Amino acid sequence: MDEQACPRCKTTKYRNPSLKLMVNICGHALCESCVDLLFLKGSGSCPECNVPLRRSNFRVQLFEDSMVEKEVDIRKRVLRDFNKKEEDFSTLREYNDYLEEVETIVYNLTNNVDVIATNKTIEQYKKENKDLILKNKSKIGREEMELEELLEEEKQQDEIRKRELVRFEQEEKKKKVRVKEALIDELMFSNADAKNILETFANSVQTTKEEVKVVPAIRATQFSTGIKFGRQRQQNFLPVPKIEEGPLYVYEAPRQPTDGPLPPTWEDLEVKGYINHMESEKDEHRAGGYRSNISCLRALQEALAGLYHVSDRTELVS
Amino acid sequence: MFPVSTQKKYWTFVDETDLIRLRQEANRKFVLKHGANMTEEQRKQTFLSAADERLLLRQYELQLRDFCRRFNPPMPRSVIGTAFHYFKRFYLHNSVMDYHPKEILVTCVYLACKVEEFNISIQQFVANIKGDREKASDIILNDELLLMQQLNFHLTVHNPYRPVTGLLVDIKTRCSLKDPDRLLPGIEELLERTFLTDACLLYAPSQIALAAILHAASKIQENLDSYVTETLFGRPSIDILPNIIEAVRKIRSLVRSIENPPREMVRQLEKKLEKCRNQENNPDSEIYKQRMQDMLDEEDERSSETYARLAREQANDEERLLGISKVLSPSAS
Repeated sequence: MDEQACPRCKTTKYRNPSLKLMVNICGHALCESCVDLLFLKGSGSCPECNVPLRRSNFRVQLFEDSMVEKEVDIRKRVLRDFNKKEEDFSTLREYNDYLEEVETIVYNLTNNVDVIATNKTIEQYKKENKDLILKNKSKIGREEMELEELLEEEKQQDEIRKRELVRFEQEEKKKKVRVKEALIDELMFSNADAKNILETFANSVQTTKEEVKVVPAIRATQFSTGIKFGRQRQQNFLPVPKIEEGPLYVYEAPRQPTDGPLPPTWEDLEVKGYINHMESEKDEHRAGGYRSNISCLRALQEALAGLYHVSDRTELVS
Repeated sequence: MFPVSTQKKYWTFVDETDLIRLRQEANRKFVLKHGANMTEEQRKQTFLSAADERLLLRQYELQLRDFCRRFNPPMPRSVIGTAFHYFKRFYLHNSVMDYHPKEILVTCVYLACKVEEFNISIQQFVANIKGDREKASDIILNDELLLMQQLNFHLTVHNPYRPVTGLLVDIKTRCSLKDPDRLLPGIEELLERTFLTDACLLYAPSQIALAAILHAASKIQENLDSYVTETLFGRPSIDILPNIIEAVRKIRSLVRSIENPPREMVRQLEKKLEKCRNQENNPDSEIYKQRMQDMLDEEDERSSETYARLAREQANDEERLLGISKVLSPSAS
């Protein structure tokens, strides 16, 4: 059947060239006037399968086969939630499994297999991946922005081209007028044969025309390559190379040779009471991070460091 | 920390013979350079000997101490200690006749102020100097770099003051001595006097600090021997304790042996020095002024020189081009 026809009023494209078929979620088509008629109140049921429908859900049928239309619709709806990208998976295998799952869901819904169970899985998926879905949605938003940018750029290019064209035409006109005047002047004042003059002028006009023809051609190529695509620019970046990470850095306290008896530790200052013999710090000193135990330990360390010092002639560097 | 410092590695020597050898070396080098065509007799007549230099330096060390004491605003002790270190280190490798100690002295103090973070401007600094302040600040700023270079840029100095504080805290914590603060005057006295000796070029700052504390204890008739042997060193291995006892004994005997240089002799030596000193480094001499002027001119000259060179190059280029053009167009002539 070549002809598109409304299943209800049997109007065909042939009889009514402005016929527009609309489909709803059930996948059954209706012509625009029937939709107007049946869904005056905003909602009603499909005349073929009695599924309750809303008028706002009707859209123009793009595909001849209404089943395809239904599938497209369902796919759109499912993909709104199942919007993971390949980057979200660690292996290709997992990504493929995920794609297969999506396909199964779409098939089930279009062919009314296990509709309830499938809807349940969708709900569950939505719950589990709430964050990821939201994140990916915003990512899509960014892609759209890019597209818009692209369109904007194209528009600008268009405008420039138009302006160029106008300018070019004006110049052409002026040139023609000038040439004409020159020709008349020549004819009026020169002593040469009028025929000769006409011929040379015709020749020169011909040559300039040829030149002109060449110029826009070059421009056209410039324009066609001049457009830059935002996406392409982005893809120019090399992928960040994955660096093989070595073992993690482990802090090791620096070791100071004391060359003397071992100084007390931080704990010893408190426990053995060294700190009691230091002037305690004032509030304004603490603001700068100073604590009296710092200077206490430092003094003790310096007092003990080098006590065993023996100058050795072998070590001497002079 | 002292054990890993440049002070230990490069500026702590085995014993006094090392220091004497270095000083004699510096003296000999100067004499050989400036008295190249003199007889031995003449040399003795004109130049100072290493011992003479030592005597003069002692005199100037006293001056350094007094200068720091009178300094306004009063400076922390660590600045004085560091200045003494610099002064001693400088004259280990340089002769008094080459650089006059009165100039190096103030430069040492100025550099020590900077290194020990005693913030003071050159104007404030020279306000403490009698005489022509303009000239003094010129000398100091001129000599500062030379001094650092001679110190091999080893500017960090470990003074015995902090170790003294540490040992006192340790004594208060681990020793039954009553009122250890009584030790302070004795400690102060010894530390001050050690700077007039070569002790800081021979021993670790903590050893000097220990010597000062033991000295102070003996002055007030207290005995800290049991604290040192048992508490401070715990159970030391046999070869460590005698070494420390020897170091403390040596420091104390060094301090005891200080004697002020006789005035008359110093005056004579000063006169001799004025005659034999290296005139290139004497800010009052014509040679020195000439050299300074040359240095200034040199800077000016360098720019005018580059200009002249550029002009010459350009002239050459032009000549070359003209020459070529003549060759290229023989038919024109």
